[in-house]
Amino acid sequence: MSMLFRTHLRLARASVRQNRTRSFLTCLGIAIGIGSIILILSLTGSISSLIKGEVKDIGADLVVVRPTRVKDTVTSFIEELTMANTFERSSLSLVDVATISSVGGVTATAPIAVSTNTLRNEENTIPSATVIGTTPDFNTIEPLALKYGVFLNDKNTETAVVIGHNLALNLYKSSNPVGRTLTFYGERFIIVGVLDEVDEAIINFDNVNFNNALFMDIDMMEKLMGTIQIQQINVRVLNTSLLEPVAGKISDSLKETRFGDTNFSVSYGDAISHPASNLLNTISWILAIVAGISLVVGGVGVMNIMLVSVSERTHEIGIRKAVGASAYNILMQFMFEALILSVLGSILGMMLGYFAAFIVSTITPFSPYISWEIVAITLIATVSVCIIFGTYPALKAARKKPIDSLRHYL
Amino acid sequence: MDDNVVIKLTGLTKRYGYGDTTSYALQNFDLEVKRGEFIMIMGPSGCGKTTLLNIIGLLDRATDGEYYLNGEDVSDISSARQARLRARKIGFVFQDFNLIQNLTVIENVALPLVYVNRPRTVRLKDASAALRRFHLSEREYYRPSQLSGGQQQRVAIARAIVSDPEIILADEPTGNLDSRSSSIVMEELKAIHEEGNTIIMVTHNPSLTVYATRVINMLDGQIDTDVKTVADHNLPQPISVKVKKRRGRKAKEEE
Repeated sequence: MSMLFRTHLRLARASVRQNRTRSFLTCLGIAIGIGSIILILSLTGSISSLIKGEVKDIGADLVVVRPTRVKDTVTSFIEELTMANTFERSSLSLVDVATISSVGGVTATAPIAVSTNTLRNEENTIPSATVIGTTPDFNTIEPLALKYGVFLNDKNTETAVVIGHNLALNLYKSSNPVGRTLTFYGERFIIVGVLDEVDEAIINFDNVNFNNALFMDIDMMEKLMGTIQIQQINVRVLNTSLLEPVAGKISDSLKETRFGDTNFSVSYGDAISHPASNLLNTISWILAIVAGISLVVGGVGVMNIMLVSVSERTHEIGIRKAVGASAYNILMQFMFEALILSVLGSILGMMLGYFAAFIVSTITPFSPYISWEIVAITLIATVSVCIIFGTYPALKAARKKPIDSLRHYL
Repeated sequence: MDDNVVIKLTGLTKRYGYGDTTSYALQNFDLEVKRGEFIMIMGPSGCGKTTLLNIIGLLDRATDGEYYLNGEDVSDISSARQARLRARKIGFVFQDFNLIQNLTVIENVALPLVYVNRPRTVRLKDASAALRRFHLSEREYYRPSQLSGGQQQRVAIARAIVSDPEIILADEPTGNLDSRSSSIVMEELKAIHEEGNTIIMVTHNPSLTVYATRVINMLDGQIDTDVKTVADHNLPQPISVKVKKRRGRKAKEEE
């Protein structure tokens, strides 16, 4: 059996080699499909590994509480994807923050309330700056590199703010405006610190670009604006082994104080990065489906070429049958040919995909991300393309009657 | 049944078409072929010669009647079994050689061995031996298109005998050849026959009947005349059969 297997393989290889250009073009069809799947998967993979890496950097003892909405229909799911979080009232409040910080095992609690507002000083006006309301704990949970000055602390909550690198440049044309003032909601604040520049393209798990942000005390923010939107609450736990029980406790006590309302999520570990990239996930799935469609087109190309090959080689099929080939032998011969085309195409596609991902990585901070899942997915896709689109032509070849085929000349 | 009978056909009928368009390529055809016979089948075009050869070669099926190959009824066997028998028991030689153009000469000759699961080295060795027999050793790695017609037909004959079949079927093997090549090919067939092989050959050329041990003239799907030029007991026999017979005779004498 294995002998016949090798013979089929050799035959198929010879036949693919005979029609080099045609085989190459057929492979290209598959390669484009596989390549785009690889590109998409490796890019989304690299984004989520970036976020995971960030979570790892900050420490594995982090719990994140996020507001959620009831997902009962498809429409609400789509709404959630399309509308920015700030448009809707967050289900988390400062009461929840207090509840969480009173849970045993919690060492620090930092809510993140985000709003987009106008900031001005004597010279400039920034119409849409990101204002982040948080607590001094923020710096202990997620140590930020300060370029100048200090972060918010318990003593300066009334009047102090910390601003990001770009915001400092835009407002003051200076990278060190510590000690100067700005106006927000009619109140005057003193800048006590400036953050170091952060890589903008990195999507962090807070979903905020710190370069353009202004940090202020969350109580002060609420006092000024009346309402605040808490986007998430970051919680640091005493040590990693307590992660799971403390997350459970947070969940329980929140449920209790909110009278059974469960419109929030408590996540830790890798799960932290998932909700943040919800939209990203959906987009990448849609892209993957589009890539899958192009793979199907490639498969149709394989089928087309196989049909041509079968009808071109009708006479050969007749000869082979006359000297003793069974229908099964012929079937396998053409299946192997389809398999070789698909495998060559997918190898080419993998190279194309990683090359494209490499090109993208030179422009963006994403590095091409290779995992066994991606290779497995491509392998499965290749084999199924071969089986789905190779079977019909191969069956057609196998069913040919020997005497009719022998009489068939080109 | 006489174990020297290789092929037995009884009441073989091949019908084409239905109703008004019905035509018969073979009608109630009976034939018994003994081991070692060299049969020439002659007759006008359309008398059913090729159809008969195709049915004997298990490439086609009769509409009616029975076909025994080596005593086994093969009229209703599956096409997979047909293929297996074609690979092991039957060698074909065609008028237009039917060599695969993209394979080398030696690969063409080795082709039947692929389907009886011989390892590649064995296949090439056997094919090389068969080619040597037809003085084509230097042409092993040529393509068929690089050979003359006579050489191509000899390659085809080498392919037909490489798997040591029971019967060799030749459909006008000299039809496309000039007289010189054609006599070379016939000499080769004669040599194969003298080794005890059974050959059934279809031809239009009456001068070739000198090679035959039996000449059958066909007309309208039936036997017109059937002449044996060599007595049954004088037919060449394969070595294995001769050895078996001698042993049987010895055993009888000892009794």
